[in-house]
Amino acid sequence: MALRYVLMAATVVLFVVAGAIFVGRFWNIYQVMRKSRATIRTDQIGKRLISTIEQVFAHKRMLKVRYSGVLHLFIFSGFVVLLIDVVGSIGQVFSPGFSIGPVLGMIVDIWVGLVLIGVAMAVYQRAVIKPERYHGSDETDGYIILSIITCIVVGIVVHESFYPYAAGPIFGVKAVALSPMEFLAYGLSRIWVSLGWTGATAASIGYAVGYTMDILMIWVFLAYLPYSKHLHVFLAIPNIFVRKMGPHGELVTAPVPEEGIAIRSFRDLSWKDVLDLYTCTECGRCQAVCPAHAAGQPLSPKMVILELREALKKELSGEPPIPLAGGVVSQEELWACTTCGACMEACPVFIEHVPKIVGMRAALLEDGEIDKTAQKVLVGWDRQGNSFGQPLKKRPGWTKGLEISIKDARREPVDWLWFVGDFASYDPRIQDLTRLVARLLQQANVDFGILYDGESNSGNDALRIGEFGLFEALAQKNLEKLQEAEYNMIFTTDPHSLNALKNEYGKYGFHRPVKHYTEAFVDLIDQRKFDLKPLGIRATYHDPCYLGRWNRIFDAPRELMKRVGVDLVEMPRHGENSFCCGAGGGRIWMEEVGIKERPADQRIREALTLEGVTHFVMACPKDVAMFTAAVASTGNEGRLKVVDMAELLAEAAGLGVPDTLVAAR
Amino acid sequence: MRILVLSKSVPDLVEELALDEDNGELLHDDMTYVPSEWDDHALEEALLLKEEVGAEVTVLAVDTGDVDNMLFTALAKGADHAVKLTGDFDLATSNRKRAQAIANYLRDNTFDLVLSGVQAIDDIDGQIPAIVAGLLEWPHASVVTEVSIQGEQIHFRQEYGGGLQAEFSAQAPLVLGIQAARKPPRYASIAKVRQMMKSSTVDEIDASADTVPELEIRRFFKPVAAGHAEMIEGDPEEVADRIITILKERKLVRG
Ligand SMILES: Cc1cc2nc3c(=O)[nH]c(=O)nc-3n(C[C@H](O)[C@H](O)[C@H](O)COP(=O)(O)OP(=O)(O)OC[C@H]3O[C@@H](n4cnc5c(N)ncnc54)[C@H](O)[C@@H]3O)c2cc1C
Ligand code: SF4
Ligand code: SF4
Repeated sequence: MALRYVLMAATVVLFVVAGAIFVGRFWNIYQVMRKSRATIRTDQIGKRLISTIEQVFAHKRMLKVRYSGVLHLFIFSGFVVLLIDVVGSIGQVFSPGFSIGPVLGMIVDIWVGLVLIGVAMAVYQRAVIKPERYHGSDETDGYIILSIITCIVVGIVVHESFYPYAAGPIFGVKAVALSPMEFLAYGLSRIWVSLGWTGATAASIGYAVGYTMDILMIWVFLAYLPYSKHLHVFLAIPNIFVRKMGPHGELVTAPVPEEGIAIRSFRDLSWKDVLDLYTCTECGRCQAVCPAHAAGQPLSPKMVILELREALKKELSGEPPIPLAGGVVSQEELWACTTCGACMEACPVFIEHVPKIVGMRAALLEDGEIDKTAQKVLVGWDRQGNSFGQPLKKRPGWTKGLEISIKDARREPVDWLWFVGDFASYDPRIQDLTRLVARLLQQANVDFGILYDGESNSGNDALRIGEFGLFEALAQKNLEKLQEAEYNMIFTTDPHSLNALKNEYGKYGFHRPVKHYTEAFVDLIDQRKFDLKPLGIRATYHDPCYLGRWNRIFDAPRELMKRVGVDLVEMPRHGENSFCCGAGGGRIWMEEVGIKERPADQRIREALTLEGVTHFVMACPKDVAMFTAAVASTGNEGRLKVVDMAELLAEAAGLGVPDTLVAAR
Repeated sequence: MRILVLSKSVPDLVEELALDEDNGELLHDDMTYVPSEWDDHALEEALLLKEEVGAEVTVLAVDTGDVDNMLFTALAKGADHAVKLTGDFDLATSNRKRAQAIANYLRDNTFDLVLSGVQAIDDIDGQIPAIVAGLLEWPHASVVTEVSIQGEQIHFRQEYGGGLQAEFSAQAPLVLGIQAARKPPRYASIAKVRQMMKSSTVDEIDASADTVPELEIRRFFKPVAAGHAEMIEGDPEEVADRIITILKERKLVRG
């Protein structure tokens, strides 16, 4: 009977101590969150709930990596079952004779089995498979947690198996025989019988050991959790609930902080950013999909989060603060990011890496630190509104050489207003393509116009380099011209412009329809504006990050290819899992230091693994620049033709494609 | 240590120069003006000195029109004060007259070191620092790199012909024309420039308009092309063939 009081006392004391540690830790985190920037994350409650259920109970993102997803589902569901056991076990000790009954007992036993299978799979993954994504994660912590979990679930079965023999000596109640339904405890108790460990002393010791392994270990777990990556046990669900809802491609949401977007200290993070740091599970899925990491650059989105978390922990323990941008996270890491968003798409707990990276870039920029070529581009945008260092007046220069002149949308109303973008306007390699798009629109009798030298760069990349002020200045210039023009829809070939117009200009009250040329051309085809003859080629398609991931336009380009008779073969990484060409976020202008293999080259290699694919199709002017260079530099010009969507359509529509373009012939 | 950095705005060569061919005048109002690139280097060198030894940096511009943005940009980069010399100046004002105004300002205000860009793309004569030094009877050096402050002494370098480097030392006050800063000039973010416009001011100082000996520009004109270049069209092989033919025709290759 004395043992019962010992167990009761230990349960209460440990619970109070663990609880105090736990609450104290959360209180600290809450204090940091309280002092950080505001962000609204409680709108669209219904949608949030549904998405949380999908992600938590159906493990939607988790199951994208099948093996890990399954093993995690086993262990995660085990936590739910653990609650039944906690009630049962504590009930047993505090209220002698209490039982959860054989049915719940059986459920507990089934899940003990599943959890053990999950743990075995996890150990096998860590010790044998050793995925690269774990590189940099705290592996010891991983093993500690797996051991604790094993200890707890084994403890459950151990004390249950001793219960019938310990019930009398410890609790003074009549023993109830174990039901064979509780198969694990039942099986184990057979062993005790054969070993003769069913006497009062042996059973009491056995029960106490089991109870310690189970309940007392749970309290230890509770105290340990806040100091481990397993804090996600508590934070993952709220973090998923307060995820960013949309518009997806909007990087800076209103209200924009008055002091700008620069992140210098933890106070400049939003409270969701702080929550992100503690929620990270160190799973490394973000690292596995990061093009900068794959290229051998010093960036890993996981390490950005972990470095910030470590620094915050140190700061909370009283160490002097270190500047986040360029200190905690190095300049090289920050500038390596292409803002492709693959990390955010992969993260099972919806951590937002890109806004943090861009915010820290903004801090570097305010201190005057930036790649020198990129600096010239910023100055070019400021002075001439383009990244090519060309006069503003030459923006419509590409229209020369067209048979029919293009309407000036500033002077007369048009149906479609074409926002051309820098690359399509100025890059001599792409101008032919731009003219081809114009001819396609003319062929389809579309009433369209451009803003001529009234158009400036959309500011999408300036913002992602961290130059919010410049983005705003460019946006204001464009909005002024767009205000003057009369049109029904904006048309663009450039996903980066599309993203700014569709998502970033919204905070200035701009909400006009914007369509990508792939969407617009599919409409035109369906209205029978072209006479198409099927091309009969086998091709693969590269989803541009700012069209696909950030704007969820996956179908239109595929529909377009289908309609012009292209047999589409998908690359392993496609749609939302597409792999960045390496040009985004201003990277196209920055020096390629430390790059082992360019993302665009890797992408071409990926396409070359596909059987019988002869064409690599793109839907972004920057991609044309990147991949034309990549097939050339990897010496694959003979094996794979890189073509733009417009070339496919023009070829199918019987429009002559200029020789200068690598056409689909 | 008090450093004065001279800065001027020059036509943006990305855009076309506006030239009235008939009367040979530059149409200043039709051109966009940007800060002179070499002045950015002078400012950068000054800011590096400030970071190293804690100097106080003032930027100065002669008010030839829209120079405020340039001065606020310098403040955003880290300059401590901005000064604008107002008076009878415009974009056509000669360097001689600008130098006089700057020298007058330097007589009334104490500075240890004056840095300017080595030259500017508009007149390419690099005269301002030399004239300022001459008027004040201060030492001067041009085409300078790597300025450092060593106690009471100012050290700097010049590159001579044949790759020879010279290292100098001089006592303040001193005027230097900077060829290149040790680091590429830093960036000033738009937000920071705007913030400077709100939070700081440009000191306007009336600069007395002396009459100075000046030259008269008769006209500006574009040089008449002397010959014509032949652009060779075609694929690389054809181009190479044509080049070989030309070289042979002109007897520039043997065989
Ligand atoms: C602002 C600036 C920019 C420059 N940019 C360039 C550039 O882009 N590229 C480049 O190659 N060079 C450049 N230079 C260097 C320029 O080419 C030289 O300054 C010029 O060639 C004169 O050479 P110096 O200074 O050595 O001559 P100095 O020694 O100053 O002599 C100049 C002239 O003074 C006279 N002189 C000097 N000593 C005597 C004497 N003892 N007796 C009689 N007459 C004498 C001679 O007529 C002599 O030719 C630049 C110079 C300056 C100041
Ligand atoms: S946005 Fe892309 S490049 Fe940047 S950290 Fe994420 S995955 Fe890497
Ligand atoms: S940020 Fe997300 S994906 Fe990356 S390691 Fe952390 S939990 Fe995993």
